[in-house]
Amino acid sequence: MSRALIALGVLVIVVVVVGVSVARTYNRLVTLDQAVQSQWAQVETAYQRRADLIPNLVATVKGAANFEKSTYVAVAEARSRVGQLSTGSSTPNDAAAFAKFTSAQDSLSSALSRLLVVVERYPDLKASQNFADLQAQLEGTENRISVERMRFNDAAQAFNTTRDSFPTVFVAGLFGTRFNEKIYFQAQPGAATAPAVKL
Amino acid sequence: MKALRWALAFLLLVGLAIAANAAEVAIPPAPNAWVTDTAGFLTPETVDALDARLRAYQATTGHQILVYVTATTGSTPTEDWTERAFARWKVGRKGIDDGLVMFVFPNDRKVRIEVGYGLEQTVPDAIASRIIRNTVAPKIHDGQPDQAVVSGVDEILAVIGGEAAPAPAVATPAAAYDEGDSDQSPWAVLAGVLIALLISGGVLWLISKIPDVKGTYISGGNSSGWGSAFAIGGMLIGGALSGGGSGGGFSGGGGAGGGGGATGSW
Repeated sequence: MSRALIALGVLVIVVVVVGVSVARTYNRLVTLDQAVQSQWAQVETAYQRRADLIPNLVATVKGAANFEKSTYVAVAEARSRVGQLSTGSSTPNDAAAFAKFTSAQDSLSSALSRLLVVVERYPDLKASQNFADLQAQLEGTENRISVERMRFNDAAQAFNTTRDSFPTVFVAGLFGTRFNEKIYFQAQPGAATAPAVKL
Repeated sequence: MKALRWALAFLLLVGLAIAANAAEVAIPPAPNAWVTDTAGFLTPETVDALDARLRAYQATTGHQILVYVTATTGSTPTEDWTERAFARWKVGRKGIDDGLVMFVFPNDRKVRIEVGYGLEQTVPDAIASRIIRNTVAPKIHDGQPDQAVVSGVDEILAVIGGEAAPAPAVATPAAAYDEGDSDQSPWAVLAGVLIALLISGGVLWLISKIPDVKGTYISGGNSSGWGSAFAIGGMLIGGALSGGGSGGGFSGGGGAGGGGGATGSW
């Protein structure tokens, strides 16, 4: 038995072992990545649900006698910026796209909360069944958004923890940007207190 | 740089573990009845009657509807607390997610209806909100907590439909509900226990083979036989216990929710 043959055998074993462990690591990352992507879809669905409520909301407040035009125009504009966002599963990997997404959604959030503050000055509008229903839908949607964001952060954290742990971090590095670290949602300013809307 | 990153990841993990622990303390384990009142808000008669009704409702329709009254959510926002409780209790059937919980927090003066994914179309937020603001909240405000909760449940069941003995003259398409569904669970439990027994038997058999090959390392002789006998006995008892549990009181069916529903106060 020649030395070269033994060396070759050892080499083959090493290659097989390394290959198998890389493949398993890769598969684990893919599984976690899929979980993040499907949770991201949930986040987008919740935000879409909110965007879908806006036309009805704007129409309702427009109907109220001399409602301040600037507030609902601001909401409609923020809504259209949200509508232009490109949707896609790559957003959680892409810091720029993620920041664009959150800033557009946050500006819609603040336009909406300004509108709800102004509504306080219109008791007739506020008391109407139609507006109360809209408000309930809006609150429910905001709640869904915060639930899905939290679950997204959990999924992203599960991915990042595995991705950055030893020795997976070297394997993840082999695939370029495919397994970039996921970006987390930051707590919204004032998120701890859900939009205070009295019924 | 890498060490720093690992240190950060570790800190994050520890922090999350602590946070998760704190949340677990705040959220009680799943109740074992359909109606629970830890705050003395309802009369015991109302609790019993409503509990029997919701138990029967689940038996006929499969939908898990709960009422849960507890003094306060503490510093946690209401919606946060109820969403976590719903997720922990797994109200509703797995995959169908047809659970719903009406929470009342007397000290916070808050009512919340938390709706599982599967009932979001049937009980949209606007409807849940109407039930709270037109029925439940005003009645509590008028000092009628029992009537408030009972008529709230009345309206919820009327919206979802399928109650065995419908009291009001609201015609609901009860035929749409498949009454056979609730029969599945005992068979599913039995199948689960059998599969668990087979798998654990196989694993135990494999384990019992190891000392024979490598020598009497663990402790030779008959111990593995005794071990598997104990394990199987334990599992049988466990299975019987969990079976008894689902027959007697409420136990979550594996449903999920995403924060749907409405909140109101009085």
